[in-house]
Amino acid sequence: MKIYITGYGLISAIGVGEKETLDALKNERSGIATGKKEETKAYKVGEIALSNEELKTKYKLRTDGSRTALLGMVAAKQAFEGHLISDEIKTGLISGTSVGGMDISEQEYRNYLNNENHNPENYKHHSSGVSSDQIAEELGINDFINTISTACSSAANALMMGARMIRSGMLDRVVVGGTDSLTSFTISGFKSLMIFDADWCKPFDNSRKGLNLGEGAGYIVLESEKSLAITKKQPVAQLTGWSNASDAFHQTASSPDGQGAQLSMLEALKVAGLKPTDIDYINAHGTATPNNDLSESQAIKSVFKEVIPPFSSTKAFTGHTLAASGGIEAVFAILAINNGLLYPNLNFSEVIEETQLTPQLSFEEGKTVKHVLSNSFGFGGNNSTVILSRVD
Amino acid sequence: MYYIHTISSISNQDSFRNENVYASLREFDAENDVVAPDYKEFIPRNSLRRLSPILRMGLTCAMECKNVIGKDFDSIVVGTALGCLKDTEKFLNTFITSTSDFLSPTAFIQSTHNTIGGQISLGLNNHAYNMTHTQNNLSFEVSLIDAILCINDGKKNVLVGAAEEKIDFLELVQPNLISADYPLASGASFFAISGEQQNSKVAIQAVDTNFRSKNVEKEILAFLTKEKIDLKEIDLLLTSGTELNSTTFSNKNINYMNFTGLHFSTSAFATHIAHDFLNNNDAKFALVVNDLCKGNLGLTLLKKG
Repeated sequence: MKIYITGYGLISAIGVGEKETLDALKNERSGIATGKKEETKAYKVGEIALSNEELKTKYKLRTDGSRTALLGMVAAKQAFEGHLISDEIKTGLISGTSVGGMDISEQEYRNYLNNENHNPENYKHHSSGVSSDQIAEELGINDFINTISTACSSAANALMMGARMIRSGMLDRVVVGGTDSLTSFTISGFKSLMIFDADWCKPFDNSRKGLNLGEGAGYIVLESEKSLAITKKQPVAQLTGWSNASDAFHQTASSPDGQGAQLSMLEALKVAGLKPTDIDYINAHGTATPNNDLSESQAIKSVFKEVIPPFSSTKAFTGHTLAASGGIEAVFAILAINNGLLYPNLNFSEVIEETQLTPQLSFEEGKTVKHVLSNSFGFGGNNSTVILSRVD
Repeated sequence: MYYIHTISSISNQDSFRNENVYASLREFDAENDVVAPDYKEFIPRNSLRRLSPILRMGLTCAMECKNVIGKDFDSIVVGTALGCLKDTEKFLNTFITSTSDFLSPTAFIQSTHNTIGGQISLGLNNHAYNMTHTQNNLSFEVSLIDAILCINDGKKNVLVGAAEEKIDFLELVQPNLISADYPLASGASFFAISGEQQNSKVAIQAVDTNFRSKNVEKEILAFLTKEKIDLKEIDLLLTSGTELNSTTFSNKNINYMNFTGLHFSTSAFATHIAHDFLNNNDAKFALVVNDLCKGNLGLTLLKKG
């Protein structure tokens, strides 16, 4: 059974929606800069300039929620625009997030510790499931709501869950993706792990020092053939492959040979019925931490052997948007397929000594891009791969 | 049918390695959060120190399931609504109060929801599919749906479960998260399930979720009609406290919240109770009704044979 994609939407530090995003990618304009808020000002981050109030006003959001939920609403509404709710089409939302309403909770907990104006009511936004409820409410979706929280692979896993539910007939149509906002919690967390680059991150570069965090959301709409027959939507791409595997090596670090990553890429190819040589572009996880990029490079080498397709990390544009990254990068994949694009891997100058792989260095148009493989790896050794393909 | 091969629960009840949890149900014990087994049997002492209660419970239940079935899981699915609260609170305290540039990362690392699944994959040296769902009171039900999909996709041995942990701070905020009047508690329940019956006597026949539940009674009846079962055939109804019309729903029933205490994934332990009831009694069907958060209804139908 084919899983069609009939809508997409995104918001990140490089823009809102397709036009702004493509313009930034084409002009190699990174969204990463010194943070403008109290909690981000000491770091290079992929921050979205709009405040919560501005997001609500500009995008006419009716539902209140944490910043994570609001970013999710903006992207999911774009994706679902022109789609109608119908009793004939069982429609769901599956959303990935790692922080949920932490942006509100951490502020409230600070008040609690400081013994001032602590308002427990504000924790109603805390749970990740609530942020998905709020996004679903904004879209008018209520046949099925689910949240996946596997850290940085959450959105990719949401795509996978959605595809499997459609294939089994449990759903006809499902909005899938992920959202995460920048919080002091995650910023302090990655700081404690000492994997920040104080400067702009350099994915796949020999001298890479670490990542830059970002925030954003990306969603796509999956539909079954049955649903398409009713909605008459034009598919923009297909979701053909998906997989999740465990590295089972360390709670946060990846194994040196990227065993989990290899397993997940190989299985996704199998699900799609494709050979490694069928892949035209790899959107790598590529966080620019010394550990991830080496491990992912090794895994790519063992899966693709001598013929490694053009690959790049787009994290130097958006920052690492954690649970949202697989959703944002799925939209990048759709844009690559439909416009024949390859995206540059910014800030690269020297190959990693052990692996000697050179990523795609410039923005290219007019390429044949039929199949894009997109990796997302999370804490807990949670490795996910999705494959998006052209509609033939 | 999705056959249950073993269940391991740690709860306020004396449930760990108990062959008949149903028969030994007793009043909720407000003095003790859970009846914990000796974790040292499962987790090396040096790791144990670092692991929060939810990680100890989840990992121990998973390992016990593995020990009983003696096979590697080819899918691991975990549900948790609020996740690793103890480490989350600990890290909040650390970064809010610390003046140092160097923070210990352990609590942050262990604060993400999928630390439970990640620790299970590490503990069992398991490279399989590993998923974590978090959907308020339906976290266990959506996990069961994923587990069922895994079996339909051809997986042979699926581990599925749910875990929640109580922290003192929750007392302050609980009414804003769930409006239910039970003492807060912790708990974990894990199930080894497969599409093959072997020695299993009880199976999960169907799981349903409803996110716009308005009339629980009508929705239960519609679900049973879909499953081609008459309400009279349900030998035990397990509810999260919903008052059902006793004339229509004259079945034997229990409010499982009285035994579990309050957390978001009590329906996982209710499913354990339902299993043990069917396994040890002359009975065929049991239904777990979970509408702990109004409007979100989970229905899990268990069948013997």
